[in-house]
Amino acid sequence: MYAFEFERPRTLDEAVAALADDDAQALAGGQTLIPTLRQRLAMPGKLVSLTAIDALRGLSASGGVLTIGAATTHAEVAQQTDYPALAKLAGGIGDPHVRNRGTIGGSIANNDPSACYPAGVLGSGATVVTNRREIAADDYFTGLFETALDEGEIITAVNFPIPDKAAYAKFDQPASRFALVGVFVSKGKDGVRVAVTGASEGGVFRWAEAEAALASDFSAGALEGLSVDPEGMIGDIHGGPDYRAHLIGVMTRRAVAAAG
Amino acid sequence: MSVGKPLAHDSGPLHVTGAARYVDDIPVPAGTLHVAFGLSHEARGTIAAMDLSEVRSTPGVVAVLTANDLDRPVDVSPSAHDEPLLSTGEVHYHGQPIFLVIATSHRIARAAARRARVEITPRPAVLTIDDALEAGTYFEGGPVVWTRGDIKSALEAAPRIVEGQIEIGGQEHFYLEGQVALALPQDDGGMAIAASTQHPTEIQHKVADALGLPMSAVRVETRRMGGGFGGKESQGNALAVAAAIAAARTGRPCKMRYDRDDDMVITGKRHDFRIRYRAGVDEDGKLIGVEFEQFVRAGWSLDLTPPVADRAMLHADNAYFIPNMRIVSLRLRTNTASATAFRGFGGPQGVLGIERVMDHIAHELGMDPLKLRLANLYAKSGKDETHYGQPVKGFELADIIGSLAESSDYHKRRAAVAAFNAENDVLKKGIALTPVKFGISFTLTHLNQAGALVHVYQDGSIHLNHGGTEMGQGLNQKVAQVAAEGFGVGLGRVRITATDTGKVPNTSATAASSGSDLNGMAVKAACDEIRGRMVRFLAETHGLKPKSILFKDGKVHLGNQRLRFVEAVQECYMGRVSLSATGFYKTPEITWDRVAGKGHPFYYFANGAAVTEVVIDRLTGEYRILRADILHDVGTSLNPAIDIGQIEGGYVQGAGWLTTEELVWDDKGRLRTHAPSTYKIPACSDRPAQFHVALWGRKNHVPTIYRSKAVGEPPLMLGISAFLALSDAVAACGEVYPALDAPATPERVMMAAKRVAG
Amino acid sequence: MTAPVTLSLAVNGAVHEVTVPPRKLLSDVLREDLGLTGTHVGCEHGVCGACTILIDGQPARACLTFAVQMEGHDLTTIEAVSEGDRLSPLQQALHQVHGLQCGFCTPGIIMTVTAYLRDHPDPDEVEIRDLLSGNLCRCTGYQNIVKAVIRAAAEIRARAPA
Repeated sequence: MYAFEFERPRTLDEAVAALADDDAQALAGGQTLIPTLRQRLAMPGKLVSLTAIDALRGLSASGGVLTIGAATTHAEVAQQTDYPALAKLAGGIGDPHVRNRGTIGGSIANNDPSACYPAGVLGSGATVVTNRREIAADDYFTGLFETALDEGEIITAVNFPIPDKAAYAKFDQPASRFALVGVFVSKGKDGVRVAVTGASEGGVFRWAEAEAALASDFSAGALEGLSVDPEGMIGDIHGGPDYRAHLIGVMTRRAVAAAG
Repeated sequence: MSVGKPLAHDSGPLHVTGAARYVDDIPVPAGTLHVAFGLSHEARGTIAAMDLSEVRSTPGVVAVLTANDLDRPVDVSPSAHDEPLLSTGEVHYHGQPIFLVIATSHRIARAAARRARVEITPRPAVLTIDDALEAGTYFEGGPVVWTRGDIKSALEAAPRIVEGQIEIGGQEHFYLEGQVALALPQDDGGMAIAASTQHPTEIQHKVADALGLPMSAVRVETRRMGGGFGGKESQGNALAVAAAIAAARTGRPCKMRYDRDDDMVITGKRHDFRIRYRAGVDEDGKLIGVEFEQFVRAGWSLDLTPPVADRAMLHADNAYFIPNMRIVSLRLRTNTASATAFRGFGGPQGVLGIERVMDHIAHELGMDPLKLRLANLYAKSGKDETHYGQPVKGFELADIIGSLAESSDYHKRRAAVAAFNAENDVLKKGIALTPVKFGISFTLTHLNQAGALVHVYQDGSIHLNHGGTEMGQGLNQKVAQVAAEGFGVGLGRVRITATDTGKVPNTSATAASSGSDLNGMAVKAACDEIRGRMVRFLAETHGLKPKSILFKDGKVHLGNQRLRFVEAVQECYMGRVSLSATGFYKTPEITWDRVAGKGHPFYYFANGAAVTEVVIDRLTGEYRILRADILHDVGTSLNPAIDIGQIEGGYVQGAGWLTTEELVWDDKGRLRTHAPSTYKIPACSDRPAQFHVALWGRKNHVPTIYRSKAVGEPPLMLGISAFLALSDAVAACGEVYPALDAPATPERVMMAAKRVAG
Repeated sequence: MTAPVTLSLAVNGAVHEVTVPPRKLLSDVLREDLGLTGTHVGCEHGVCGACTILIDGQPARACLTFAVQMEGHDLTTIEAVSEGDRLSPLQQALHQVHGLQCGFCTPGIIMTVTAYLRDHPDPDEVEIRDLLSGNLCRCTGYQNIVKAVIRAAAEIRARAPA
């Protein structure tokens, strides 16, 4: 491991100041970032821990919206009862150890193409709140490990409108338990959303055809005959593009069936 | 009685408190240095230039050595002298050590190694079995061929021919404790080594050669390993030798351990195989002849490939009498890490080959696979000989299978599986019963020897040492039970001590499942010797016949008189009786001509059988093991709890090999699955939902230690039933034979289900 | 090189001052600076679970944590699980029902399960599977580990005041 400085601010303002350095990097639970640093895929000069900032923690639900502080762990999200489909998604991330340390803010800031949360955020039509602005999920995820966040911008919370129906169906990459394919579906006042993670070379995406089909008939049967083009799907040691494309159809139908 | 009790592992209390020391936990003297390798980034080529200046200038780096800096050519191979510690100019695989760094910390040594600039002129790498066949890169000068009968006529005459091919992937050992060694220079120029190794004597030998010392100047100690599975038979040599060279150079203690990525990239794994088969059967499913071609991907050096590939040939019959046979074994040299020993040592691949044949034939003939297997089993009477000419004696597999079929409700469940499959379209179940017959003994005859050293101290405590190593398999516990039994005392008196080349010399690797067979007998011999001396002395001083003296229940019975064990020991000590002895054992009856492929290589066979039921999701390929039932033969168990643990662990490891454990190399010869985040070993949720394991309790027909049988490797092959249960479930998706390759990952299962459905 | 920092770490009920580089992993600090070698390093990828410790009572991987992150947190390692000289019910059960072979994964498993049983003394089979999903064992096939968890849970319930 190469050398870096470490800071652990107590307030958001201090964190913003600490992250003003060009080569500073925010550190949340570290469950993805620390292995990345070990492999030297990233080499920031300074790490700024966000876990001591009280303003970033906690969950609250009101007016049909669940607000989750960015430094809230997966284990904490798994325990909330306001949004059961999201609780189930969080409870299926990694293993208990990862869920005790990993945070929602860290996960969506990193935007790993195989992470579960991006599907939950995009599939719920959530809003990402930062120290500067609010970003709609549709605008937030911009590509593989890419987001709309600017340098020094810190996620403070995520607002989830709680849908009428929702479910997440995931096919695990068995060794890491990241999603080989994960599909989050929801049906709420703004319509149906189908968000797919793990599969595309472009990162999490909405499956428009499936959303259209489900808009008029929210049932697994409505998806019969729909398929995803393997072109642009990830092909790696864990599965080929055809397999992933095929799994998207299967997991979407299963998610819809589970959402009821 | 100590022997036969289900006593817990002797180190248990240390393990559960974190107090048990592995090599990396041993407190080291201040000033201890750390060693790391710089590795090749090409699979094949010639080193054109090496700039190590930045490595050398890294703060904390003490020295950097290449092959040219060594005093003499240093080899770390187990026998063939074809593995230089550091590349001598040519590189043969991606990850081959090229130079070594000695630094003040492990992290500094590793980080500095990455700062090297090594230019390698690449050459076309031979990576796959097909590459090697095309390039003609064979070890041992070409194919090894064994034949029995007249295979050509047999296949011509056979009413039915079934043929096909199976690809069998390798397997990473994934011992939880990685490779590690610590070298401590001695004041007299000697070297003391603590290593995580199954083969301390080989480490001693290699270190002595590397330092130009006699073996007597090198002492190797191994208290325990955090798992071995064959991966620490030869693969620890490089670390111990590198640490010793560094220690000799610097005069300071030196330690070397591989990080997990390096461990997976550098060290060898189970050999991957391709097995092509052509079998002739009659309409009743009786085998007339089978022809096998076994393509073995050996990697860049010979390592243990010859005996591994031999053992695959020796197990190409598994449990079946095959009157005509031809086995062609091609040991292929490739530019990949040199494949090595792994639990089963080629046996599993050989067994999977014939079990695949049985599965395929049953499908073609529309016959119940169990019926087919039973029809071809070796005779219980002992009249049959294997294809290499060894009579199959004491063969109770038909009874074991019968008993297992009943206890597991095999026939009823097979019908229930068929009924389930008729009703369900997405989920399909499968069930398979497979046996194993595994030959026990090293096929290199001279390795079948062992030594022990036992001291009885004047306070009645017993110091026990033997040549075997403890890697979790409970060898020390079993052997201690033998020693306690030898003196009729409780286990509390017996002190188990670290394996030490200074106490017991010229040991064989703890391998081939032979640990308790060989070392148990050697310990018994040592105990018998001391007890014999005590009996002779006590008989004389007490005026008794030696026969009337018994060691039992912590007492020495002298006719009507009883002495506490310690009192008897003190009498002997005062009478100047030597209370220390070595013991030695060599396995009788074994002979083997490996060129002809004929002889009696195994002292006996260990047997067992397993039934596995699985369910697959044909749309995703996901599967679960619903239930596994095992009946396994360990003779008269020395310790049933330890034996059952070996069976459960072996089954799960075998099932892992054939299901989720997939090794992937890219087209540059780089191992892509070099971490547990990409290489999937079984987790708790992968074990069978229901798991029933029982021991076949009859005694071994040959006089092994208390008539027990070896247990380390054979149960791994019971995992084949999981693979064939998956094949059975896939077969339920259509008419065509699934011809699954291993490992049967979910993607393969889904694709096979699609193919089968047409 | 970034200068080493001096930290106060609360480990097993005692506060230790260590001076370490910010990049040093908690697993290395525990093992090298505090001599607590019961925390094993198996994979250094955050997968095998051999390095599991408790951070504020919850299982986490010491190999995925920098020591500098741990100021103000309460750390517990395998060395502090026994009740004085007495093994905890879980330690006792893993030993007695043969829930270990090579023992390398054992401390990590004990940390994970100890935390869980404290809050959930009656786990069912499904809970145990998920509970142990972050701890790999290469020897036992898990059967006896699960048995030991069930036995320890029963023992803990029997001890608890009614």
